[in-house]
Amino acid sequence: MWVYEKKLLYPVEVTTCNPMLARYIMEQYGGADGELAAALRYMNQRYTVPDKVIGLLTDISTEEFSHLEMLATMIYKLTKDASPEQLEKAGLGAHFVNHGHSLFYENAGGVPFTATYIQSKGDPIADLYEDIAAEEKARATYQWLIDISDDPGINDSLRFLRERENIHSLRFREAVEMLKDERDRKKVF
Amino acid sequence: MSVFDERMALLKKIQQTDFVVVEWTLYTDTHPDDEDALDQWREAIKDAAAARKQYENKFGPISLKSTPSKQALEVGWRWNQAPWPWQL
Repeated sequence: MWVYEKKLLYPVEVTTCNPMLARYIMEQYGGADGELAAALRYMNQRYTVPDKVIGLLTDISTEEFSHLEMLATMIYKLTKDASPEQLEKAGLGAHFVNHGHSLFYENAGGVPFTATYIQSKGDPIADLYEDIAAEEKARATYQWLIDISDDPGINDSLRFLRERENIHSLRFREAVEMLKDERDRKKVF
Repeated sequence: MSVFDERMALLKKIQQTDFVVVEWTLYTDTHPDDEDALDQWREAIKDAAAARKQYENKFGPISLKSTPSKQALEVGWRWNQAPWPWQL
């Protein structure tokens, strides 16, 4: 089970209302390589991986939900004071007529989230390699977001998230090695 | 220091100490035999609990699993109360 904690993993400070930037950040909110995809992918794979890596998948999945909350906070703060005209100018006119000022799990192009973004193969090595790729793709997306954003508060939070992807990728690569070691040891017998 | 500034400073302290726990947890997930890391992980949990207590004594529960101190009960221990994290 999970218990909610009334705090963000890392502070999110927004300098100015900027619906265009909010729209770009939606790529990491409801996109193929985003935090929702990551959280759901690991949380679902963990049931059928060896005991040795269940903790890692559980803990990283849980952390991804806290990243999702940080992104939601960014999108909320960047759009809450925007007029319909400002939203329309930022390419969020269609979003506004369907969702108002509320958030929605969609990518920067307005495509709704789908479970087809993620996979679970029942093969721990295949699953972990997908997870490493997912972290690297998320890291790249954060880099493009930092490159396109000029909000210093947002950039600070995005840099934190980019570094977390690096750590998760490293830990998943270590997990692969743990499983390979185990497999190679079995061959000796 | 204003009440708001104090709140934000104590919250930041929780975010820092909790982050150390997050980081050591992931590290020990893939280094289960690193005794030094496990010691640091256990220490980090204690530091995080202390920082949490400081905040909760004045500003209420961070988690439904938190135990209110006498001081916290005097201030009033309420969960369903703004600001929520995205409102700060």
